[in-house]
Amino acid sequence: MIPRCFLVVAVVLAARAGAAADPTPQLVAVIAAKSVVKIYGAGGLRGLEAYQSGIILSPDGRIATALSTVLDAEGIDCVLDDGRRFEATLVGVDPRRELAVLSIDATDLPAAVPAAGRAAAGTRVLAVSNLFGVAVGDERASVQRGVIAAVAPLEARRGAADAPYTGTVYVLDFTTNNPGSPGGALVDARGRLLGMIGKELRASASGIWLNYALPVDEVLAGCAAVVEGRAGMTTAAAAPPFDLGLLGIVLVPDLLDRTPPFVETLLPESAAARAGLAADDLVIAVGGRAVGSRAAAERAVGAIAAGDPVRLSVIRAGTVVDIDLGPRPAVADAALPPETAP
Amino acid sequence: MTWPRPLMMLVVATMLGAARGNATEPTLAEERAFRAAVGQVADAVVRIEPVAGAAATGAAGAEAAVASAPSTGLVVDPAGLVFATSFAVPETAREAVVVLPDGRRVAATPLGRDVPRGIVLLKTEPLPTAPLVEPVPRRSLEPGQWTIAVGRGWSAAEPGVSVGILSAVDRGWGLAVQTDAAVSPMNYGGPLLDIAGRVIGIVAPLPAEPAQMMRGTELYDAGIGFAVPLEDLLAELPRLAAGESLAGGVLGIAYRSRDTINGDPVIASVRQGSPAARAGLRPGDRIVAIEGRAVQRIADARHAVAPRHAGDVIAVEVDRRAGGATSRVTARPALVATLPPWRRAILGLVVADGAAGVEDEPARIEWVLPGGPADRAGIAAGGRVASIVPLGDAAGGAEVVEAPSAATLAGLLAGLEPEQQVRLGVLQGADVTTIDLALGEMICDVPAEAPAPLSSGLPAAGADGVRVVRLGGADVAQPPLAVIPAGRGPVPVLIWFGLPHGDVDEAEATAWQGAAAATGVAVILPGSQERREWSGDDLGGVVRALESLQPLRPVDAARVAVAGRGPGGVFAWLVAERLGDACRGVAVLDAPLPSRVVIPAAEPGTAKWMLLGGAGDAAAARRLGADRDRLRHAGHAVGTLPEPDGGGPPAATLCRWAALLGLR
Repeated sequence: MIPRCFLVVAVVLAARAGAAADPTPQLVAVIAAKSVVKIYGAGGLRGLEAYQSGIILSPDGRIATALSTVLDAEGIDCVLDDGRRFEATLVGVDPRRELAVLSIDATDLPAAVPAAGRAAAGTRVLAVSNLFGVAVGDERASVQRGVIAAVAPLEARRGAADAPYTGTVYVLDFTTNNPGSPGGALVDARGRLLGMIGKELRASASGIWLNYALPVDEVLAGCAAVVEGRAGMTTAAAAPPFDLGLLGIVLVPDLLDRTPPFVETLLPESAAARAGLAADDLVIAVGGRAVGSRAAAERAVGAIAAGDPVRLSVIRAGTVVDIDLGPRPAVADAALPPETAP
Repeated sequence: MTWPRPLMMLVVATMLGAARGNATEPTLAEERAFRAAVGQVADAVVRIEPVAGAAATGAAGAEAAVASAPSTGLVVDPAGLVFATSFAVPETAREAVVVLPDGRRVAATPLGRDVPRGIVLLKTEPLPTAPLVEPVPRRSLEPGQWTIAVGRGWSAAEPGVSVGILSAVDRGWGLAVQTDAAVSPMNYGGPLLDIAGRVIGIVAPLPAEPAQMMRGTELYDAGIGFAVPLEDLLAELPRLAAGESLAGGVLGIAYRSRDTINGDPVIASVRQGSPAARAGLRPGDRIVAIEGRAVQRIADARHAVAPRHAGDVIAVEVDRRAGGATSRVTARPALVATLPPWRRAILGLVVADGAAGVEDEPARIEWVLPGGPADRAGIAAGGRVASIVPLGDAAGGAEVVEAPSAATLAGLLAGLEPEQQVRLGVLQGADVTTIDLALGEMICDVPAEAPAPLSSGLPAAGADGVRVVRLGGADVAQPPLAVIPAGRGPVPVLIWFGLPHGDVDEAEATAWQGAAAATGVAVILPGSQERREWSGDDLGGVVRALESLQPLRPVDAARVAVAGRGPGGVFAWLVAERLGDACRGVAVLDAPLPSRVVIPAAEPGTAKWMLLGGAGDAAAARRLGADRDRLRHAGHAVGTLPEPDGGGPPAATLCRWAALLGLR
């Protein structure tokens, strides 16, 4: 309960301060940490943590968190920043975004305030999560600071498997993705929610550990899909590699782990031969995206829908040549790659 | 009425904001400054994409893992000159792919490289819209100032940003500055900016020793990153653009101290024909300054030489003692990229200091190699080396060294090559005989005879003069056994790895007792942590075993050897790599040299003596031959280890070998 006169004073003060009324960085940290909950569930075996973080999205107890084995439990506990403990119900999951929605029976919760639009690289941010599970008592989650390093598609894997989410993420320049961090909040300098901290993943290309967050628009879209029952229980299957022979291209034999995609020969009268591809060309990109191996080149062409144009970039005698091969033929005797899920 | 908490917080926040003015402003002002800085250089930052062919056609293993991730480059001349790292464009790459800020993908060719700094200059098509980057003067850098690392590895469309501070201004032997901004292959090659958008340097893996160049990736996420100052690179831009590759510079000296950081910078040996030798530097000289920069420790000298390249002439000031007086001498060696492979030269003697710990006693001749240079010249055991001097033009009028200690003799020989003539003064009783002889090649196979335990280690050991002890306390799992010869003074140490089988049994020591007693060699028999294999845990156990032997019998640091058979032999190679210069011999039976093991080329004072042997089919024999060639090419002495009769360990041969590791 707040006395009415107090509010009047506050409003008058706020009016005087005008648009420049911003909270201190310390207060931002407090606000952000209040909307982050500690989640305890299954785990503890084989080095998997039994805890992670979550973000309060509505005052009546809707919580977003990362989809993980922690949620494979009979009872999922949510502990608020003031130490109150609630048993949570799993509302549903969005496997593509690796996101889950929980609900707790509470009111008047300090929900996070989403930022409008995407932030750019260089934006100063705070990350709030129960990293390493160190906030065990009635204490707040931990706050770290850094900047957004990049706004880029997630090209990551866990173990040998590719991560299901391949959309845009905020790549961060500080070590945010730790055990216990998934589901934590990324906020801007004014305390507005920018995103949800993701799981521990390595970059596909370099193998380095990634620090990233799912942008808040994706978090909200995922939560809405879950609540409305639209989020499917399966992820989109990866496109199968495409047999480049259908375009008339014969690459060098795939003998190494990363065989360079050199063109060995071309089938006469084929689309590739007509388009001007030549033997010994080294394919470096498909549709503007770099391919580092023969297998990557075949996958990249496989990901192009039948009928859409296939554009290759090759190195020939020290220069880059772009070659348009025309529409990708359909694969007659194999199932077409599933179209991207909505 | 009840107010939702966020609203209440907002109210409180509003009030505080009003009371304190615009409290977020410093944070946002810094954010604006970061972005403005990035904006100034963004059009000069390009993406470097991996070219599959470059990695796949590379020499071997190491490079294949590299250059599979996109990386970054910095345009330093709109004519199309781009700096990138050797990490992204390895030496094997004949071309690279550059993605320009406008999204166009163009080819680039490497022009020149700065090898020690790991930077390559690429030539691509003209980039008229690229801004001119402004270097920050190195002198003006201050630890603690803002640094912004910019890269295009994450996204070609928008430059990536990571922010930190300058952690140090002089790292990697003076080649680099250090930052805590997050670095990775994604921004290697990109600029490290100051808050005004000027370029401090090019983000790069720590320019370490060449062998570790490709390994500079262990430090991700450790809050430690490096950048090569742009000012240094622009100074060499004309040479790099002309296609020159700048190699690191070598002087050709070794130091007496084994502490390569804090040791005294006193020269132990000067390689024949090296820049140091041609400039007149000599064993015994103490370096006091290089290029006007004071040198007190070996690290200071390395710091002064590391930023230089082959071809550079540097001024080396030394203090030289001669005839009781010390004089200051300045030499001006011209650094070279590589020294010719070093060949170990011997007199064919085992020498010892007159008394333990007394360095200035003339070296005593303990044993003479049958058929060796000294033996052929008629030198017999029991005398002392009264003086030694190299003769002829190659020696360049070297001074006579009177009454050399064993260490001085070793240092002097390390600088000489086989066939070099020397004049020895040999003290036998009261008479000094002068003998001229030519140094010989280091032997490869183990001679049938070996010196008895050094007579300084009194009392002389009998056939059963050994004790068998467990090293390490009761808390050590699988404690190693040690066979320690009787007597005092430093002993050679041989560590033997057989088939791994967990705990080592006391009975296994019996095979070694006779050989250890006859040669005065201490033998360590480690157990394995795993029952069926030698594991990484056992590596640390070797170091602990050497440490716990030390109080029982001091270890002769110049005669530590590892040996093994089968899986134990493979493990011996790994132990040799771990011990580095501390290991002077490796002997294996039926154990190919693992390709991942790096055995550095032989250097004076740290060259190894290897013995290879084994039965097996034609493929095994080919493998053995390849290993022998590889090790000989690196300048090491490589002999044959005969398969012992009866299936036991080749104890007698190995103990003779370990005793002779200090052959002079």
